[in-house]
Amino acid sequence: MTFRACSYEKELTQALKDGHWPEGCGPELRAHVDACGNCSDLVLVTQTFRLARSESEHATPCGSPSLLWWRSQLRRRYAATERVSRPITVAETFAWIATVVVGIVFMASQYRHGLHWASWWSELVPLRILHVLSIAPVGSAQVDPNLLLFISGFGVLLLFSALVVYLASEKF
Amino acid sequence: MRKTDTTGEYAIPNVRTREASRTDELPMDSDAFAGFYQRSAPGLRAYLARVSGNPALADDLMQESYLRFLCATCPDGGEVNYRRYLYRIATNLLRDHWRRPRAACIEDVPERLLAAADQLSRGDSQAILDPAMARMRPRERQLLWLAHAEGYSHREISEITGLSAAGIRLLLFRARRKIARLLRKSGTDRRQV
Repeated sequence: MTFRACSYEKELTQALKDGHWPEGCGPELRAHVDACGNCSDLVLVTQTFRLARSESEHATPCGSPSLLWWRSQLRRRYAATERVSRPITVAETFAWIATVVVGIVFMASQYRHGLHWASWWSELVPLRILHVLSIAPVGSAQVDPNLLLFISGFGVLLLFSALVVYLASEKF
Repeated sequence: MRKTDTTGEYAIPNVRTREASRTDELPMDSDAFAGFYQRSAPGLRAYLARVSGNPALADDLMQESYLRFLCATCPDGGEVNYRRYLYRIATNLLRDHWRRPRAACIEDVPERLLAAADQLSRGDSQAILDPAMARMRPRERQLLWLAHAEGYSHREISEITGLSAAGIRLLLFRARRKIARLLRKSGTDRRQV
């Protein structure tokens, strides 16, 4: 099948579009359409599709525009809410990452120092902690640096965990 | 022939810059939309039903098209451009629908799955057109409907479908010849019956 444009095609298309075919067209164009296969195809197809479109338009009602309007308002509102809550999502993500990083650093540091968990827990008696933090003089030789690191790391971890839980509960 | 879409979002065409496409402004108010809907919905529904061959799907896609139309920033130029934009959204939704289940291009979808079983209307023209449309490829139905039922130019069809205007000219020529042959055959068969 070869593609060959007809010189009358543009004129005929315009006549069909304007509704001038066939009465509003000259005898020359009508004679050409009778003889030209492409143009007779164009007339047949355009008239059939126009008629089908016209019949389809009156076939079924299309529903209420007010319902669509209302749904679009809801969707726009949801999109606006999403846009506003984006910074909170970023903060949540940051909190998650910070918590994980602190946890990993803390665990790595403890692993490097030998993981003496059993001895630390025995030292975590409240009076002992009180003694270490406030009663004992600064620079005392009895303060275990691993214990201080453990307490501070645990505190930071608790802080971030609380923040993460709060933000997560706000979202859901 | 097909223009590549680098945005990855087919359903809402990018007609403006990203900054301008924020959904802060409504394209029209409620009353204006109601009028626009009354004028454009029957044609859009007919287009979707004819091309998809599925009236229920056409209803769903039509509603989604209007929702996206209302949530997007529309192009300037009044109702003619609004309507073209709406058809573009609908065309992209159709394409998304065809791609979703089997990740296939519109031309690769088997004809038997897309046979035009439209029962929107039962006029004489439908009785002739339906069997012919059922034997056309979905892309051909799309181009034929946009060109001959809606009266869009090749350039406008190019904007709606994302195909090149030169490609549309050739595809439309072939599709028109094919459906004209089918229509003549269908008309002859009906006369014989």
